[in-house]
Amino acid sequence: MFSTDAGWVLTVAVFLPAVGAAVLAAMPSGNDRLVKWTAVGLTGISFAWVSLLALSFDYDNGGVLQFETIVPWIDAIDARYHIGIDGISMPLFFLTYLLTFLCAIYTTKIIPAPGKPKGFLSLMLLLQTGMAGTFIAFDMVLFFIFWEIVLVPMFFMIGMWGGPRREYASVKFFLYTLFGSVFMLIAFLAIYFQATAAGIANPWDIVELTNAGVLGSRTFQLWAFAGIFLGFAIKVPMWPFHTWLPDAHTEAPTVGSVLLAGVLLKMGTYGFIRIALPILPDGAAAFAPWIGVLAVIGIIYGSLACLAQTQVKRLIAFSSVGHMGFVMLGIAAMNEQGIQAALYGNIAHGVVTGLLFFLAGSLKERYHTYEIAEIGGGMLTKMPKYGVLFTYAAVASLGLPGLAGFWGEFSAMWAAISPGGSLATDYQGLYIALVVGAALGTVLTAGYFLWLLQRVNLGTPPKQWADEKLQDIMAVEYVSWVPLALIILIMGIFPVVVFGVQNDAVNNLVSAFTV
Amino acid sequence: MTDVLLLAAETLEPFAGEPSALVQNSWLIVVLPAISALLITVFGKNMPWKGAEIGIATLAAMWIMAVMVGWETFTNPLYHYEAALNWSPLGGGFVMELGMLVNGLTGMMFVLVTTVSLMVHIYSKEYMHGEERFTYFFAMLSLFTFSMLVLVIANNTLQAVVGWELVGLCSYLLIGFYWKEKPNSDAANKAFLTTKFADIGLIVGVIILSAGVAGLGGDFATTPFNIDLTNRAAVAGALPTGAIVGGMLLIFLGCVAKSGQMPLHVWLPDAMAGPTPVSALIHAATMVTAGIFLLARLYPVIAQSLAVMNTLAIVGTITLFLAGFVAFVQDDIKKVLAYSTVSQLGYMMAALGVGSYTAGIFHLFTHGFFKALLFLGSGSLIHAVHSNNMSDMGGMRKFMPHTYWTFIVGTLALAGFPLTAGFFSKDEILVGAQIWADNGIWTGNLVYWVGLAGAMVTTFYMGRAIFLIFFGEHRGLSHHGDDGHGHDPEGVTHDEHAEDHEVIAHATDEVQMAVDEDGTERPVPAGGAGGGDHHGEPHESGGFMLTALVFLAIASFPVGFTGGFLWTNVGGSAEQNFETWTATETITHTQYPFLDDYHAWGEVVDGELVYEKKDEAYADDAHAEDDGHAEETEHEEEAAGEIVALGSPLAAASEEGGVSNYVLHGAPVFHSDVFILALLGFLLATGAAFAIYGRGKPDRDPTLHMGPLTTVLVEKYYLDTIGYKAIVVPVRDHVAKWASYSSNDGKYSIDSVVAGVGVVTKQVANSTYRTLDQKIIDGGINGAAFSAAWWSDKLKRVQSGDVQRYAGALVAGTVVLVLVIALTVN
Repeated sequence: MFSTDAGWVLTVAVFLPAVGAAVLAAMPSGNDRLVKWTAVGLTGISFAWVSLLALSFDYDNGGVLQFETIVPWIDAIDARYHIGIDGISMPLFFLTYLLTFLCAIYTTKIIPAPGKPKGFLSLMLLLQTGMAGTFIAFDMVLFFIFWEIVLVPMFFMIGMWGGPRREYASVKFFLYTLFGSVFMLIAFLAIYFQATAAGIANPWDIVELTNAGVLGSRTFQLWAFAGIFLGFAIKVPMWPFHTWLPDAHTEAPTVGSVLLAGVLLKMGTYGFIRIALPILPDGAAAFAPWIGVLAVIGIIYGSLACLAQTQVKRLIAFSSVGHMGFVMLGIAAMNEQGIQAALYGNIAHGVVTGLLFFLAGSLKERYHTYEIAEIGGGMLTKMPKYGVLFTYAAVASLGLPGLAGFWGEFSAMWAAISPGGSLATDYQGLYIALVVGAALGTVLTAGYFLWLLQRVNLGTPPKQWADEKLQDIMAVEYVSWVPLALIILIMGIFPVVVFGVQNDAVNNLVSAFTV
Repeated sequence: MTDVLLLAAETLEPFAGEPSALVQNSWLIVVLPAISALLITVFGKNMPWKGAEIGIATLAAMWIMAVMVGWETFTNPLYHYEAALNWSPLGGGFVMELGMLVNGLTGMMFVLVTTVSLMVHIYSKEYMHGEERFTYFFAMLSLFTFSMLVLVIANNTLQAVVGWELVGLCSYLLIGFYWKEKPNSDAANKAFLTTKFADIGLIVGVIILSAGVAGLGGDFATTPFNIDLTNRAAVAGALPTGAIVGGMLLIFLGCVAKSGQMPLHVWLPDAMAGPTPVSALIHAATMVTAGIFLLARLYPVIAQSLAVMNTLAIVGTITLFLAGFVAFVQDDIKKVLAYSTVSQLGYMMAALGVGSYTAGIFHLFTHGFFKALLFLGSGSLIHAVHSNNMSDMGGMRKFMPHTYWTFIVGTLALAGFPLTAGFFSKDEILVGAQIWADNGIWTGNLVYWVGLAGAMVTTFYMGRAIFLIFFGEHRGLSHHGDDGHGHDPEGVTHDEHAEDHEVIAHATDEVQMAVDEDGTERPVPAGGAGGGDHHGEPHESGGFMLTALVFLAIASFPVGFTGGFLWTNVGGSAEQNFETWTATETITHTQYPFLDDYHAWGEVVDGELVYEKKDEAYADDAHAEDDGHAEETEHEEEAAGEIVALGSPLAAASEEGGVSNYVLHGAPVFHSDVFILALLGFLLATGAAFAIYGRGKPDRDPTLHMGPLTTVLVEKYYLDTIGYKAIVVPVRDHVAKWASYSSNDGKYSIDSVVAGVGVVTKQVANSTYRTLDQKIIDGGINGAAFSAAWWSDKLKRVQSGDVQRYAGALVAGTVVLVLVIALTVN
């Protein structure tokens, strides 16, 4: 067990994957099997390390930054290497390592064309460092660097191992996100100069900025929030900035989709919670009703778009738009319950949709298509276990209580009925309408998932597949999927495993910016 | 009103004793079926009875415990035991509880759910024998029982929502049990989505109500979902009107679909696509009553608003009346029973709307037994003749004597024949409506008269069913059922019944498109044929099925006594009857603010409930608290003087003609007017049914020849069609497509804006290059071209097109960068 003062533990956790990437890249090509299993070993070690870290974490003081390191880094611009982990970061950080580990296991058996596991897996490990770093960086420069590191490996994963339109999708993903990042960076710079003027000792430091109270004038807050909003909203993605997502998911390899949905999107919502709300509370309060409106439009619009999809994977991609809408609705509530809901929804969506993308990917391995009509139904008779797990994941995603999805959605709606600050008095009617709209979204969500199940799972298999032998769940799939299925159940029955970890940190965070 | 309502003379004191160890551990009753479901899933297939033994044994154990809990709550009026764990923090100091609330209402539901579930388990052992997914079926039955009990035991609305949604899932999975056929999975989808749609109301309602509670501070803010606290806040008059009216009307919307109220009942008849034991357990006795149960749980809140109560009464009345008529034109026995269930649920809802809390849940209780009996009886028949259609039955009393008499018992109870369970409970609803009418509220008269008429409707369609099924000559299988047996190709000669079928068939044709797409309709037999049946004569069901039938038939009597006027005559005591069983302390203090003599029970001060000394308060403030919303009563008298026995709200009887500002009406007494009218109605309707169907199936079934009326009924008031064509099709086929097009797929989509930005940027870049760079700058420094050529020659080798080299270079570069960064840190 580690001491919670041991900052190096966290540093090791973050950079282990990057070192692993270098190790993989340095391995001789040719022995794909060795490369794959080395990757499993490397991600396994990282996961074990982070598990130990999670076990050592002091959950009674989840509101305090632990495993913290603060050292000067780039003196010329006052940037510091400031990392640490609290109850808000912990679940996301853990999920990052778990999902990457499961992805590595999955890749031992299933790797998209053109193969070449060495490149694929070292990119994945590099991606892991970027994702993990984003969740523990407390210096805005450091945060930005981790944030940008993520783009590159994902660009190549989609662009090289993706589907037929991979080039288009990867470039769109890269440029669109980068476009948002530019505005975010400008906003960061604005905050830096404002903070310097306000006499904050370390003007890049997220903790100091959070505790500094309201920074700058209202106009400043609005403009700075607008810039940050663009960066994060594209990442989430919020309606109407979501159009890169279906294309990226449709073309991305299975593992890419899992990580994209499971972790990457969460960086946007995490950024809102960690940076945008606490540092720019006035800007956030002004934007909150709009965020709420866009979130609910996203929920309904995304669900409707799902109903129209003819491909399993594209459908799941659009479902992310709806689900992330619930997360953003929680954020728009601007109170403790809302932030709790948003963070819970993050994890739930990561696990559930991660599993769904795994399932969709393996579906294609068997049917060689994502087209619902070509699969044609009867999967439960062809692959009963697969069908049951598919049903399970779908039902979890449509928000059945007792499974993970429900709590994030319900508590987001519940939080939004009594939004924080002056929102309750100024916009009560709007927020009630938002709750009703979001609830309508749950119906549409149930609609497209049940319809999907009916068309894929139920009925009898069409002639094309009637005599085809289709492999039910394979061993490697069990290993990479069962942990997710279990987490879905545990989070559903004991929501405290996530809510409880976050609770103190969220209360601290919100009390820092609500007066 | 002809009778004085006499309430318990003695004061009802809140339960103050020590709850037994069993009650304190009654969460075990809930958890057991979950364990059972797990065990059946894991071990079921390898066991001699393929898992059925686990389910039956668990249910038997639960049943014993449930009956003991039921007895303890019954013998201790106003029983109350609550315990909760802090399930999870929700942020901002809010806590989500995992808890149990054991009171009489819980005990009553325990008894009902476990009894019916046990019987259905036993019955299914035989009925489902040989089914492909027999083990899965039993696991699902256990899972359903678990989910239902989660709802029943919940001490907070959030946990109730969890149970509520889980029973919905079980219902979906079991309706779609035969999922290879599309109509069945369509029916399952329709059930889930209709109820899910109404759950918008449930969810938002629970949220709004909890926000109102949370606003009171103190414990209310810590556990805003707690049911008991919510009720207490309501009775103290502390809840904001918005939370009461908005919250309860929305929760009511959820109950409209779950408990089959019009117009969202449309899923329930289709749900008959599931196996018959499922119909008995889920779609008649237990799950569909969840809405009624939840409203009863929150009754003190409902009682605060006349608008809410009137809504319940009106929707309930419409449902109880209109649903029954649809049963007139059904040939499928399960559909008859399904519409009957809808209609009976209407009675319960209407009862709650006219202040008959006790009568409403009493009917819920008795109906659960006899409707389960009827469904299981219909399963027995279907098992024997391989058809759901009454036109394929006839003369069954000869072949299936036990099914016959048990079915008769269930029918009499449903029709409200004197001294049966249904008689007592329906009677109480009508009496309650009378009292409400005496309070000067018009819905009382509405429910009373329509309720009486509805009872005749019920009796008629059940009489029709009885005569068609059990009397006359056996007609045999004309059109083979689900299993494909018993079809006789030679027998396809149109007999005189064909005409009836054509009426249905014709009407069905009109909605054929909708039906095909939506598949909500099971095929209606298109022709009748005389008695060819390879199975020979139908035979009586076996021991397991008969055990369930006989048990429920016998149980159908005593369950009605506890709440009927004969209770004291059969050894019961006035202090321990159905009313005192299911009453809670809050209910005894609940008054209607819109009636005279309203007095809030205490008030909320700084998040704490403060109870006033009732005795003085009544005398002093009886009129001061009158908020002016009171309806004018015809008998406006000095009400304060009429409160007889102070100190006990229960004893505060309303005297004849006075306003009864209490939810509880006191021990039932004999009402000759209601009795005579109900009996007359029964005889009339039975006589009519006998006249038409008494000699077997008539050549020309009059219910199918009522012109446009028949069409409307066959079309189920067009509600299914409207729902499908006005909601499902537009959303699924139009709005959804539009969303997808406007997002990425269409020419003028949101994505095209993104693409447009890309194109414009590229053009700007190109023209910058061509004009600015090439012509202006490059023109100036021509010499640079040579150097550029040299560099490009070198660089083009790097651009090999080998993706792996790109990736390698990228990784190497980034790793170097990262390491440099990491090193510069120290």
